[in-house]
Amino acid sequence: MTLLSPAERSYLRDSLTASPIIRPDSRTPHQFRPIEAKTSFLSSSNGSARVRLIDGSECIVSVKAKVVDLASVSNLVEVDIDVDSFRDDSNFVTNLKFHILNSLANFPSTVLKLTTKYGYKLFIDVIVTSHSSYPLTLISLATYLALKTARLPKLVSEVNDEEIAEQPTFADDWAESTLIQDLLDAPFQPPVLITLGIIGNNIIFDPSIEEEQIIDNSLVIGFYNGRVITPINTISLSSISNGVNSIVLVKALELGNKYGGMVVKALDTLIEQDIDDENIF
Amino acid sequence: MITNRKRLSSGLSVTSKVFVRSRNGNALKIVREHYLRNDIPCYSHACHKCQEIVKPDAQGQLPKFILSSSPTKTKDGVSHYVVIDTNIILHAIDLLENTQCFYDVIVPQTVLEEVRNRSFPIYQRLRNLVKSEDKRFVVFHNEYNEATYVNREKGQSINDRNDHAIRKVASWFNSHLNTENSPTPIHIIFICNDVDNCTKAKQEGIDARSLVDYIDSLPNGEDLRDLIPSDIVLPGNFEGDQNETVFPEYYSNARIMAGIKNGTLYQGMLNISSYNYLQGTVSVPAFKKPLLIIGSKNLNRAFNSDSVIVELLPKDKWKEPSSTIIEEGSIGADDNAGDDEDDLGEETGGVVSDKERVFLAQEAMKATSSKTNESRLQPTAKIVGVVRRSWRYYVGQIAPSSVSEETGHSSRSCFVILMDKLLPKVRIRTRKAKEYLGQRIVIVVDSWPSNSRYPNGHFVRTLGEIESAEAETEALLLEHDVEYRPFSKNVLDCLPKEGDNWVVPDMTDPQDPQLKKRVDLRDRLVCSIDPPGCVDIDDALHARVLPNGNYEVGVHIADVTHFVKPNTALDQEGASRGTSVYLVDKRIDMLPMLLGTNLCSLKPFVDRFAFSVIWELDENANILKVDYMKSVIKSRQAFSYEQAQLRIDDPTQTDELTNSMRVLLKLSKKLKQGRMDAGALNLASPEVKVHMDSETSDPQEVEIKKLLETNSLVEEFMLFANISVARKIYDSYPQTAMLRRHAPPPATNFETLNDMLNVRKNGMSISLESSKALADSLDRIVDPNDPYFNTLIRIMSTRCMMAAEYFPSGSYGYPEFRHYGLAVDIYTHFTSPIRRYCDVVVHRQLAGAIGYENLDLSHRDKQRMEMIVKNINKRHRNAQFAGRSSIEYYVGQVMRNNEAEHEGYVIKCFNNGIVVLVPKFGVEGLIKLETMGDLATANYNEDKYELTFTDLKGAQRTVAMFDKVTVDVKSVKDEVSGKRRAQLMLR
Repeated sequence: MTLLSPAERSYLRDSLTASPIIRPDSRTPHQFRPIEAKTSFLSSSNGSARVRLIDGSECIVSVKAKVVDLASVSNLVEVDIDVDSFRDDSNFVTNLKFHILNSLANFPSTVLKLTTKYGYKLFIDVIVTSHSSYPLTLISLATYLALKTARLPKLVSEVNDEEIAEQPTFADDWAESTLIQDLLDAPFQPPVLITLGIIGNNIIFDPSIEEEQIIDNSLVIGFYNGRVITPINTISLSSISNGVNSIVLVKALELGNKYGGMVVKALDTLIEQDIDDENIF
Repeated sequence: MITNRKRLSSGLSVTSKVFVRSRNGNALKIVREHYLRNDIPCYSHACHKCQEIVKPDAQGQLPKFILSSSPTKTKDGVSHYVVIDTNIILHAIDLLENTQCFYDVIVPQTVLEEVRNRSFPIYQRLRNLVKSEDKRFVVFHNEYNEATYVNREKGQSINDRNDHAIRKVASWFNSHLNTENSPTPIHIIFICNDVDNCTKAKQEGIDARSLVDYIDSLPNGEDLRDLIPSDIVLPGNFEGDQNETVFPEYYSNARIMAGIKNGTLYQGMLNISSYNYLQGTVSVPAFKKPLLIIGSKNLNRAFNSDSVIVELLPKDKWKEPSSTIIEEGSIGADDNAGDDEDDLGEETGGVVSDKERVFLAQEAMKATSSKTNESRLQPTAKIVGVVRRSWRYYVGQIAPSSVSEETGHSSRSCFVILMDKLLPKVRIRTRKAKEYLGQRIVIVVDSWPSNSRYPNGHFVRTLGEIESAEAETEALLLEHDVEYRPFSKNVLDCLPKEGDNWVVPDMTDPQDPQLKKRVDLRDRLVCSIDPPGCVDIDDALHARVLPNGNYEVGVHIADVTHFVKPNTALDQEGASRGTSVYLVDKRIDMLPMLLGTNLCSLKPFVDRFAFSVIWELDENANILKVDYMKSVIKSRQAFSYEQAQLRIDDPTQTDELTNSMRVLLKLSKKLKQGRMDAGALNLASPEVKVHMDSETSDPQEVEIKKLLETNSLVEEFMLFANISVARKIYDSYPQTAMLRRHAPPPATNFETLNDMLNVRKNGMSISLESSKALADSLDRIVDPNDPYFNTLIRIMSTRCMMAAEYFPSGSYGYPEFRHYGLAVDIYTHFTSPIRRYCDVVVHRQLAGAIGYENLDLSHRDKQRMEMIVKNINKRHRNAQFAGRSSIEYYVGQVMRNNEAEHEGYVIKCFNNGIVVLVPKFGVEGLIKLETMGDLATANYNEDKYELTFTDLKGAQRTVAMFDKVTVDVKSVKDEVSGKRRAQLMLR
């Protein structure tokens, strides 16, 4: 962790609390750090995405689907997160996992149902190979991309197997597999988690590692179906921990509603430009 | 989905394939890298370019160019190569093997792989065609060739993609040979019976023809037309026969897999009852008794011994096994006979859920395991899928009544009655039906669509006149899948170059280190005892008294493995034949004659290599010491059983050799007694021997085989050697030792027989606690008035027994090694390597065990041993059946001239007939009720196994199980099946 000297801290704090906000990397308050992303690059996964930040943070997400007996499983989406240099049972990783899983609570699992007995279970595997700032947004963006591009093989056996059992059989052509969106017959937009930093009454999107050390508090908000959704959580990223006042909270929601859509749109554009290129070389 | 290529180096590029594999209900995404190269030649002698691009393989061999530069021509004189499509190979492999057509054939790799996935036997035949090079078949690896590899387009089915790849091969060959380099034009003809594919090919400028069109374009096309398979002439169906009946469609694979998993469907082998071709049983591990399949609708197009999927029928459809005899009679009259009409209502019953089926299965389990006999109802089932067809070549003859009178040149369909009574008649199309009447012909079954009452097949070749010895012999060899073609050149090449002049090398100056390990036993007084006229002598014996009063006894077995080395063509041929087959007038050897009758045969007066087992035995034949060694022996005499017996019995003979045989006899009696005390079974089968006239080789008379003391002398020592060797190889190779086991018979097998004995013979019964108990109880079953009765019961018990089988020792636990019939804990076959492949393997394992040589990997690998064992078990069974049917045929011929009255025994009772066994000929025959008396008056008492009826003279008569009856034995030829069989008439 980069430690800032008292002079640097004071300088940063002054510029971030100023109006207009001046961010150390000259971003506007609602601007994300530039990301570089690639989808469908893991050939043996149903869907995959890799997102890199300008500071070298990188996250890889793979989505795999497995056919399960619906009666034997409780949930159809499972998330596993691996962060470089953190134990799997550490608070840090468990928290990340909780946030991601929580955000997927309203995943349209009906599309995963194949027959009356069988369905797909999605296994979302996340690896954060390197990170400096809190990686939740990074993970969330990569997960969004992986889920959006995940393809599910097409079932060719009987759908109704309540009376007479049938073992699910699938079309052998990968090209016949379908996107979740096509199964849903509606736009499919998994929730995106956005980290907001609060300094005094100012709010900044996607705080960098230096900013994280200055800010009073952080908020994680979900964005789904065009607006901010609950739950909204506070997390403390630095040693400073102040409460969040209601004015700031309202402001945060406003900003979230305003800019969340742009984030999602940017990701969708990225997929459009990237899709149909399954070259593994 | 196929993605772009990337060049790795000059001449090699890589691409990838992505596809979905459904396995156990899961969908796996599979990604494969696929490498493409540019040095795959076209294999044509006409090509100038490919000679330069070829590269040697891993062994440094350059690919061989096969395709002729002046290939065969069509009627119009066009030199051509042929590219064939998968469906042509699958349906017309016989035509491809025909020597009159199909030369210079290009088999695209795509086609080869499709063939392998669809039918492994056909794949192997295709492989052999390519290997033999006679017909100039080549496999072109188009999938690895840069120029011919095609991508799967989006949304294209894999079949369409493969069709595209095959067409690409045709067009590539065309441009490669003709526009670039061949001096003479070579036309490429693409043969394909798929209309759509043909059209596409034509659009791409390829000369695509259907098989019929191609055959017609050949100079000898007229002769070949009949050989074109039926479903290719008219895809699907014979016209006019459509919808004559509707069999239920088979279940989808997805449903079958799930059904087997949740216990509502079962898989097993179908056994058609030999008395009723409309009734079969399927043995399923889940139930103690086999499931009954009754009626053609429930049998649903399955053939005898097909591997099938069955579903239980509702409980109200459960039945007793039919006690009626039904044979598939002549065509026409009974075309509509035999079907249970009540089956029709079944489909209307609505959907039966899996839950109900599971409940039904539990009911069935209860019913099959209940000990009480209160209900004889057996669960019935219907066939809902065929996993593997047992289709092969079938021998039969054209049913005369199915041949139309019209003379014409167009081909017509007619029925072929197969020799195997358990199989339905097959419809074929031919223009020469009249010509083939009265001949044994070979056919192949092509398909059995659900809307056709009979399976469709096509003619392959004719064997000759019915009842001519050659045709009948060949027919029964074919029917039992016995390889009888002469040994091929590469097999004969493995024999010693010296041929008949081969002699044992000089032992005093051994160059070969292996000769050093051989023990010189030429001083022992060895002799052989075999049936008269035996030429393949594979065992010899010796005995002598040791100074300490004990006996040294040696069993010497022909050292076949000295000549048959592992992994040679000779070894592979022997392994695939598995056993020699003995017919009445012919022997089909497992190994070439030179070995069997000369080099390996332990002939008298010459030195021979042998594998010897030498024991030191005490007065009571207990083993004190046992040694195994490769040796050199010199047999002093080759006796027949009778000669040996006479010599032993003659008190004036006091020479050493005779005395040693007396020692052997004495010890063999002790061994036999020991075996009997342990509970070895003495079962019987009605064995007969046919005497042939030496000049005309016509069968003269039938004799029941006699057994002499010397028979049992040889037998005892062979058993003794087998047991000793089995222990030795099991000790050295606990996982892969080749052993033979005989499982105890399940009690259910004896249920009916015991019930019959109980009812008919005042509570006599066969005890099943142990082999000893069984042997003793068999001894007790005697009818004081009828000495043959005991033998009869022994014959019937034999039929209730399990078959002995070979197995690698790792497949069972030690307690299950037991040989029930011989009452020994471990057993194998060691003593007849000339005529059994098992013994060859055992010889090699024993040689390994005593450190003579290293054991080949194939006999140390469990999986490969499993494969060997599976094959020899099958071959062994087939050889037995072939031998039996050969005897049956000749007995039929003998009876032709010896019609007379004989004694017989009732061994089966039905409500419309009885089956009688005639010990004199060892034949059994069915006597139908209508030939005995009035059908209407018949009354069958199932509990007492007796049939009461008014006979033709008007008298009341009762016949029952085990009754001794007098019958007229007559040999009649069945006009329909062309089979001669014993016709019995009750006196």
